[in-house]
Amino acid sequence: MRVLIQLRPAADVVASVLDPGVASTVADVVADLPADLPGVLIDEAYGPVAVPRARPSAAHGGPLSLSSRVEFSLSPEHASVLVRGEIPDSELPIRLARLQSAVREVAGVYADPRIRAAGPTCGGDGPAGDWQEVRRLLRASDLWEQGHDGEGVTVAVCDTGINAAHVRSVLGEEVRIDAERSWAPPGVRRTPGRYPVEHGTMCAFDALLPAPRATLLDIPILLSRQGDMSGLLSDAVAAYSHLRHVLNAMPEESRSLVVSNSWGLFSPEHDLPPGHPGNYSDNPAHPFNLIVGSLADAGADIVFAAGNCGRDCPDGRCGFRERPIVGANGHPDVLSVGGVNVRGERVGYSSQGPGRLAERKPDLCAYTHFAGSGAVGEADSGTSAACPVAAGVVAAVRTARPAARLSPEQLRTQLNRTADDRSTVGYDYDYGWGVIDPPAAVAALGRARGTRAA
Amino acid sequence: MILLQVRLPPGATLSDALEALGLTEEEVDTGYGLVSVLPEAGLHVLRVTEEAGRRVGGQVFSDPPIEPG
Repeated sequence: MRVLIQLRPAADVVASVLDPGVASTVADVVADLPADLPGVLIDEAYGPVAVPRARPSAAHGGPLSLSSRVEFSLSPEHASVLVRGEIPDSELPIRLARLQSAVREVAGVYADPRIRAAGPTCGGDGPAGDWQEVRRLLRASDLWEQGHDGEGVTVAVCDTGINAAHVRSVLGEEVRIDAERSWAPPGVRRTPGRYPVEHGTMCAFDALLPAPRATLLDIPILLSRQGDMSGLLSDAVAAYSHLRHVLNAMPEESRSLVVSNSWGLFSPEHDLPPGHPGNYSDNPAHPFNLIVGSLADAGADIVFAAGNCGRDCPDGRCGFRERPIVGANGHPDVLSVGGVNVRGERVGYSSQGPGRLAERKPDLCAYTHFAGSGAVGEADSGTSAACPVAAGVVAAVRTARPAARLSPEQLRTQLNRTADDRSTVGYDYDYGWGVIDPPAAVAALGRARGTRAA
Repeated sequence: MILLQVRLPPGATLSDALEALGLTEEEVDTGYGLVSVLPEAGLHVLRVTEEAGRRVGGQVFSDPPIEPG
C-alpha cells in the first residue's frame, strides 16, 4: 500500500524544507531521524513537503473541529514534513503499529490513494458497473414483486435486428419475440430474432433488464441498404406505419406498445436546410415527425435516444454544431433519453438540450456504459443503451396499465416528475428532469389512482 | 431519391398513386411502395426520383440516412 508519512524532524531540517532556496531531499529528512523507518520503501524521488500545524484560535476549540476557527503555523518549530513510500500489504498492520510506537518522529501514516483527473465517461472508456448493478439501481426486483415486469406489454426494437439466442445466453432468461408482428424493410430478409449479434441485440438485452416478461418485436430498420447508405428515414416511416397497424389490432382496452429507437440523424449533410419545407431536423411537418405524433396519439409510448453528441466528448460522426437533439429524437411526444453511468453521472457524450422540435429535451436520463450484453464490445454504451433501459422501464410501469387507462403523455409526465433530480434544481439541459426512478414513478401512479378512487 | 407526400383517398394503392400523379414505375421505388402516414387525413408517402418529385409538384421531403446512436 502506498502511504504518506508525516514526520516531525528537528526544526533546522524543517527550516531547510521550508526554504525555497534549499533543495531538500527525502534522504536529508530521513537521515536526520534517530531511528530507521522499518519496512517502508521510501520514494526518494518525492520531494518532502512541509505541512503547517493547525491550532484552534480559541483555547477550548478542537483542532479538527469544522465549526471553530483554526490558525495555521508554518514555523520550523511547529510544521511537520510529509514523505511518501510503500509498505507491503501483508505487513501493513504490524508495520503501522511499529512505525508509530517505535519512531517518535512519526506523527502519522496515511493512505496515499491513486487519484485520477475528474472527467466524464467518454466513448473509449471501459464499462462502469454491470447489468446486474443496473437492475439493482432500477430496483427491478421490487418492481417485479409488485407485478411490474412487462407482462402483456409489447416492445418494438427499431434497430439492426435482434439475436434472441445471444440475449438468452447472456441474460439466462427466456426471451419472447413475436415473429408474426415483427417487420423488416423491403430488401431485408425477415428473420425475427435471428439477425447477427449487433447493436439491436444490445438494445433488446437492455430493454429486458427492467421488463423481462415483455414481448419484443424485431424491427431492423437500420439493416436496409440503399446504395452505399444504410437505413433511411423513409424505412422508419414504413416501420411506424406497420406499428400503427400492430397497435390498432390490439383491443383498445389493452393497448400497450413501447417503441425503442436508438438511432438518429448525425449530420445535416443529407438533410435539407432548416427553414426549407422539406427539412427533417427542425420540421414538425416532416412525414416521420407526423407519424411519430400520430402513433403516440394512438397510444404508443415512443422512446428515443437523445444522441451521442454531448459537448465533452461527442461521437466523431456528429455534424450538428448546436442543438444536436434533432428531429424525432427531440419530438414533443417522445421520451428523449440521455445517459448516465452507474454512479448517476452524465456520460460526456450524452447530447444536451435544448432540442430542435421541443425545447426541454432530453426528458430524463437512464443508465448506460455498463458491462452488459457483450453484443457490441465491453460496454453497452451510448444513449443507445440508455434508451432501451428507459423503454424497458416504461414497459415495466405500463404492465397492467394500458394506454386507455394511462396515456403516453401521462406516463411520460410521471416519469419526468419522479426522476431523481441531478445538477441544478429542476430541469436542466444535461440531465433533463433527472435519472429515471421506476419505483418512484410506480408509487406516484399508485397515489394518483388512490386520489381518483377517493 | 426523396420522399414525396401526397393526399389520396382511403384504400389507395401504389398503382392509384402512379396514375393520379402521372408517374412511371421507373421513377418510383416500387419495393418501398405507398406508405400511409396519416390515414385519417389520407396522407401517404412514396420514394421517388428528385426529378419526378419536382415535376409532380407535391410536397417533397428529405430522406436522410439514419444510424445507430
